[in-house]
Amino acid sequence: MMSETIPPFTGFGLGLRKEHHAQFLGAEQKVDFVEIISENFMACGGRPLRTLDAMRERHPVIMHGVSMSLGSPAGLNRDYLTELKLLADRTRPLWVSDHLCWTGIPGHNSHDLLPLPYTNEALATCIANLKLAQDVLERPLLVENPSSYMTFPESTMSEWQFLKALAEESGCYLLLDVNNVFVSSVNHHFDPLEFLNVIPRDRVRQIHLAGHSQGPEGLLIDTHDAPVCAEVWALYAKAIDRFGPCATMIERDDAIPPLDDLLAELDQAREAASVLA
Amino acid sequence: MTLLAAQRAFVAEIAADDDLPSSSLGMAIYRNAYRGRLADALAVSFERTRRWVGEEMFELAAAHYILTHPPQSWTLDAYGADFPEALAELFADDPEVAELAWLEWHMQQAFAAPDRATLTGEALAAAEPDWEQLRLAPAAGLTWREVNHDLAALWHGLTDRSALAATEPAVLLIWRKDLSPHFRLLSPDEFAALEPLLDGASFGEAASQVGEAGLARFGQLFAKWLSEGLFSAIDSQSQ
Repeated sequence: MMSETIPPFTGFGLGLRKEHHAQFLGAEQKVDFVEIISENFMACGGRPLRTLDAMRERHPVIMHGVSMSLGSPAGLNRDYLTELKLLADRTRPLWVSDHLCWTGIPGHNSHDLLPLPYTNEALATCIANLKLAQDVLERPLLVENPSSYMTFPESTMSEWQFLKALAEESGCYLLLDVNNVFVSSVNHHFDPLEFLNVIPRDRVRQIHLAGHSQGPEGLLIDTHDAPVCAEVWALYAKAIDRFGPCATMIERDDAIPPLDDLLAELDQAREAASVLA
Repeated sequence: MTLLAAQRAFVAEIAADDDLPSSSLGMAIYRNAYRGRLADALAVSFERTRRWVGEEMFELAAAHYILTHPPQSWTLDAYGADFPEALAELFADDPEVAELAWLEWHMQQAFAAPDRATLTGEALAAAEPDWEQLRLAPAAGLTWREVNHDLAALWHGLTDRSALAATEPAVLLIWRKDLSPHFRLLSPDEFAALEPLLDGASFGEAASQVGEAGLARFGQLFAKWLSEGLFSAIDSQSQ
């Protein structure tokens, strides 16, 4: 591995979505970084890659993946890792991230961030996969906590204990999705502050903020199709209080609003963080 | 149960037919998300096909495909690769449906295909190639298939089914020039002249197949193909 540490980077950014490509490329936008979905730019050429190249000249870029499947006991897809490494070498991102989840089994990819039981077997699987990915990519990764809609009776630890152990054992950093903490805390009836208070202070390098929607029987669904709600802003303030200034991003994947709306929401994050600075 | 066995059971449940109830509310949410995500991917990739067959028929076709074609690639962008073939079976009496779907799919593939610089006539002339031995590489995303309908009319939004007549067989060619994907219908004669070059034959070999009488037309067609950007580079073996 070339480097075992990721220097802190503070600032406020947005997820780059194709609806806003022209505005990002046409004028200076008030962001400190953009986050791309890695898979949208892997193994391709043409206009997508030109857009990424042009974006890199304007802003620091973060690569955020959805397909690594760290929780797969069958191991990681080597072709995927090879393509991810090629993109990372070309993009030279601030960092590369993915999720604490699994996405499928050999021969069947769900293209979803599926939940893991928090067991020693799952932890060992994630650590082994993460170490391999970090070796191939020659950099530490950030791992994000996903939202989840079910728990497993076989779990022997909490999600936050699992993440803490994962960071300690693998050397990875964490992408704290504050909305996901809130959604899971409602769905699984835990105190979100207990989650934050166990996550190691020195391992969080980025925060995601997003909206969610109401699902059946009181469950919340992580839909990324709405503004950040008041409860998540309040939890964000607690997170900044604990982890200090941290790269913060608004994540919107559906019902994409005008860019100005997202920039205004990002200003809210700036304001919330500055109050605590 | 091992983690892998549990994951196999989980995937089997979210991908199962609607007739089987979900074992929990959480599983129902993951199952719904699985179907929805794949259906959305097909709807985005085959927007024109969906308009042509109608939303209801498209949704039925998509639901069948999702049940019978589990996604295998790490990228969701690959999910529709076999959808045109599936539509050929589902719409056996309306073969234009599969032809349009094939066109849509490969135009998208060409849009994001790995880069290959377009070979211009000027660059080829400047290279002063040995024409007899010259071999050319195809443009980014170049592919073809035989079709029997006016795909240009379908692509540009034809909605009147009675206006779509079956045509003489033609070859639908798709490629990317610079950043833009293109397609064109070629007559069987024109494609017969082009195909050897796409298959790796030398210029001399391809020219010999058209015969003495066809050489002048072959030269004109070659100039046209170059201007359209059908080739990307001079094959290194010919230099």
